[in-house]
Amino acid sequence: MKLSNLAWAMMVSAVAIVPAAAQDNQSVNVVLTEVLDVIEPCMAARSDVGRVVLQNINETLTEYAPAESALKPRLATEWSQIDEDTWEFKLREGVKFHDGSAFDPADIAFSIDRNKNAALGCETGGKYFGGMEFTTEAIDDTTIQITSTPASPILPLLLSVMPIQPESDPADTFTTNPIGTGPYKLVSWDVGQSLVVERNPDYWGEQPVVTGATYVFRTDAAVAAAMVQAGEADIAPNIAVQDATNPDTDFSYPNSEMSALRIDSMLPPFNDRRVREALNLAIDRDAMIGTIFAAGVEKATQQVPPSTIGFNHDLQPWPYDPDRARALLAEAKADGVPVDTEIEMIGRINIYPNATEVMEGIQSMLLDVGFNATLQMYDVGEWNRYFVKPFPEPRAPNLVQVQHDNAKGDPVFTAFVKHHTDGSHSAMSVPEVDDLITRATAASGDERKALWEEMFAKVNDEYIADVPLFYMVGFSRVGPRLDFKPTIATNSELQLAQIGFK
Amino acid sequence: MGRFVLKRSLFSLVSLFGLLVLVFFLSRLTGDPAALYLPVDAPQSVRDAFREARGLNDPLISQFGDFLFNLAQFDFGDSLRRQRPAFDVVMEAFPWTLGLAGLTMALVLSGAVVLGALAAIKVGGVFDRISSVISLAAASAPDFWLALMAIFIFAVGLGWVPTSGTGTPWHWILPVAVLFVRPFGLVLQVVRSSMITALSSAYVKTARAKGVKQRAITFVHALRNAMLPVITVAGDQAAGLLNGAVVVESVFGFPGVGKLMIDSILQRDFTVVLAAIMVTSLAIFTMNLLIDLAYALLDPRIRY
Amino acid sequence: MTQTGINGAPAKSPPKLPTWLGLLLADKFATVAVIFLCLVAIAALIGPALLDGVASKVAFRGRNLAPFQLDHGWLMILGSDSLGRPILARIIVAAQNTMMIAAFTVVAASCIGAALGLVAGYSRKFLSDAILRLADVIMSFPSLLLAVIVLYMLEPAVGNLVIVLAITRIPVYLRTTRAEVLEIRERMFVQAAKVMGASSWRIAFVHILPMVLPTLLTIATLDFAFVMLAESSLSFLGIGIQPPEVTWGLMVAQGRPYMNQAWWLSFWPGLFIVLTAMSLNLVSNWLRIVLDPTQRWRLEKRRETTNG
Repeated sequence: MKLSNLAWAMMVSAVAIVPAAAQDNQSVNVVLTEVLDVIEPCMAARSDVGRVVLQNINETLTEYAPAESALKPRLATEWSQIDEDTWEFKLREGVKFHDGSAFDPADIAFSIDRNKNAALGCETGGKYFGGMEFTTEAIDDTTIQITSTPASPILPLLLSVMPIQPESDPADTFTTNPIGTGPYKLVSWDVGQSLVVERNPDYWGEQPVVTGATYVFRTDAAVAAAMVQAGEADIAPNIAVQDATNPDTDFSYPNSEMSALRIDSMLPPFNDRRVREALNLAIDRDAMIGTIFAAGVEKATQQVPPSTIGFNHDLQPWPYDPDRARALLAEAKADGVPVDTEIEMIGRINIYPNATEVMEGIQSMLLDVGFNATLQMYDVGEWNRYFVKPFPEPRAPNLVQVQHDNAKGDPVFTAFVKHHTDGSHSAMSVPEVDDLITRATAASGDERKALWEEMFAKVNDEYIADVPLFYMVGFSRVGPRLDFKPTIATNSELQLAQIGFK
Repeated sequence: MGRFVLKRSLFSLVSLFGLLVLVFFLSRLTGDPAALYLPVDAPQSVRDAFREARGLNDPLISQFGDFLFNLAQFDFGDSLRRQRPAFDVVMEAFPWTLGLAGLTMALVLSGAVVLGALAAIKVGGVFDRISSVISLAAASAPDFWLALMAIFIFAVGLGWVPTSGTGTPWHWILPVAVLFVRPFGLVLQVVRSSMITALSSAYVKTARAKGVKQRAITFVHALRNAMLPVITVAGDQAAGLLNGAVVVESVFGFPGVGKLMIDSILQRDFTVVLAAIMVTSLAIFTMNLLIDLAYALLDPRIRY
Repeated sequence: MTQTGINGAPAKSPPKLPTWLGLLLADKFATVAVIFLCLVAIAALIGPALLDGVASKVAFRGRNLAPFQLDHGWLMILGSDSLGRPILARIIVAAQNTMMIAAFTVVAASCIGAALGLVAGYSRKFLSDAILRLADVIMSFPSLLLAVIVLYMLEPAVGNLVIVLAITRIPVYLRTTRAEVLEIRERMFVQAAKVMGASSWRIAFVHILPMVLPTLLTIATLDFAFVMLAESSLSFLGIGIQPPEVTWGLMVAQGRPYMNQAWWLSFWPGLFIVLTAMSLNLVSNWLRIVLDPTQRWRLEKRRETTNG
């Protein structure tokens, strides 16, 4: 056949040979499962950008270590609260950007402004700084005071998400050549194909072992896993659970995501607590572990993972009790609650692995106890309409498949948006909860912790705002020559400096 | 002929403009790009500010006016997602797609015409049956299935070719081989079908009566007439490839226009969608013009 | 039908029913194909009523069971899917939706496409140009964008899925028909009909259409398979078939993540798609021989040798 002739001719005549992963050098090949369309540091809150940029090219003032639940110094060496709304940061001395310019307070002010620039629509700014205003004052070359309105007791934590960019970056467009202070600097970005970084010889800290990295993009996770297997890549940070079949190379890690179904508790029949409890009792979570969910997932009780300050350890996962669920439904029905109303399950394709099967499975369990459930699976654009306010009218009682990521150690990134009456993803309105959220956000120390715990008890036990499913895990495939164990942070970043060789 | 090409090009420009208007207004019925672009946790105030700053709050008709004004200076505007000129983004991707489509269709046409003609000579014969089964299976096989199987077998298992990516001629082998399969099956069947019609028609019988050799009849006289539907169907398949072989591009990590277009549609990145459609449709219009010219070349009785 | 047979238009009257059966039995491949299609039709008609409960019974712990084991009952002979549902039962139940979508789409696209193509090929005027440029526009309009637009403007429904798929398939029928017409209309018998005063419509539909039909049928049978697969790629937008409803294309697509460890998830429904397309193609080839007096002798001869 002609094709094979041509194929052979190409093989014989090809000058370049298949590029095997370079075994003798200290550079690594990373295969990512999302095609990088921007490499702007202010977008680093998006996990695909963050994995490349964060702490590799651009660094932050502070760094949150989820394993120890502690905030560590990075570009700032120490910080203290001056008064209720102002914090002072001491900056590391002798730090230079890749272009040779010195790192100073003006760069911090520039980075904050950039994140607040509406026309840019920075991910970090939109996600973490919404509704806040900042003013900065440079005390000297290595000291800066930052004031926020409203006051934030966790400002140093907030700043752990913001990569610092030099003043020389364009102010009103995305940069395609990010310059940072990090241990690696950008060599080239071939859009859609690859991105190369190399070690920064002038780095202020210790020189890392890995000399450089080449990132390539494969949207099919099976192909990414195959590339590590074939030796074409050293690490695939994010592969599917189905492809994690080799215990020698494939590691699971808690990825700080929490999966749930959001109950629209404003509409009948979901405005009755018994019906919401029946939803939770109808689902056999144990049967889903190790089948359509990965074996390492933990049953969830609230929207934040257990490592969070203010996580309520007294809450217990719901048991599987279909008989009790049927009884509750019958009881509600006797009181005139319209439990036969058609309820819409709104799923999002690929929100996590097996998302469709999960929804099909849950639907069949809900039908089993007597709910009248229908299922619609959407892509993110259509799903968003049901997920974010304003909800489309006419509104039907629905259950929306959601996943929430809070690796930052504080429920403030979760509570308002999910549970406050005015939260953009909230489908509940409980004045007591609103009040607790407001008070907890402004509090600090043990008081903050106690208020958050009380809030979660209200939301998930007294009121039952959602159907918590699992604290999720992700999978990485790491090639045999690397010494690297993925952690909870691997979901949002991949620090090359933490990789070693065997 | 010259007049025909001129008239045709004018017509094509009009329909290109029609397409532009259609895509511009219809795509804006599909929801708010700000909602998809910004993080889901972004508060309403951030959304409003972004929409205002990006001109998304202006009346549609004035947005269209701005767009036309810029287009007159060959500027499609910036990609919302990438914040770079949309046309640049598309032109980075298009050569890859053109390469894949061109190489694939060249192989398909040469392979399918020969085998299809051979199958038509003896209808119901062993060769005909085998080629039918193979080509039908080929035309019905899901592309992701072929692509992943090819990677598992030839790249991971045997290690003959790289799994995916670009860079060397070796990297083209699997994607082209996978893309080849479906058009090959389809075109082969159309060659066969239209050759059967051609071989039973009067002029072939006349030629045969005159003592022209079977091979000459098949490959010169009949084939020439049978080619009209063949190049039409091949053109349809090529148009599909020019619009982007989404699955193959994403599985093999080929940075082509198909993946770009799908992503941009799902992200409501309208400028990129428009630029991509304009580029690919220009290619498709040109190809259809060439096909129509080929009709006249293949059959002198067809004149324009 | 009084026309001379040299150009393949039927000269004798079509064969009668017993002869039909005989002619069918003479072609072994076509016989098998017809039997297979009948089975699919039966599955489509009574499958959902018969097996719906079994086919949607979720059993997490019995997921991805390998095929060819009888310990879980005969329905599990082809294995179970990622939610532990029997694949055989699901294939049978899915036949109805699959056939409905594919048939409506292909029939609508080919009829509209062929009609427009006849007009475009037969009229030399402005109309022809307009139709062809319309086809160019449709060809260049991404089907996914069309689907997203339809989804936003209309409710998600199976009918809309058919509309989207049919619109995108029209150009190939249109252009193919026109290409054939361009050639055929110059032939002797068409010119003769014209001289004898036949109307344009009559010439187009009575004289030209039968000549174009075989090529269109070939494309249509292959399109059947394509539509079955393409349909599933739109269901992820939320348009068309939604779980727990199922089609073969959706089954193929849902098996994709498991290709490495449970090949049967997408293999079996894929095989049914291939077999259906192949059967339709074999039947249309057979039909073509039967209806073509210059070819029918092949079957008649074969029948005589087998009977005698």
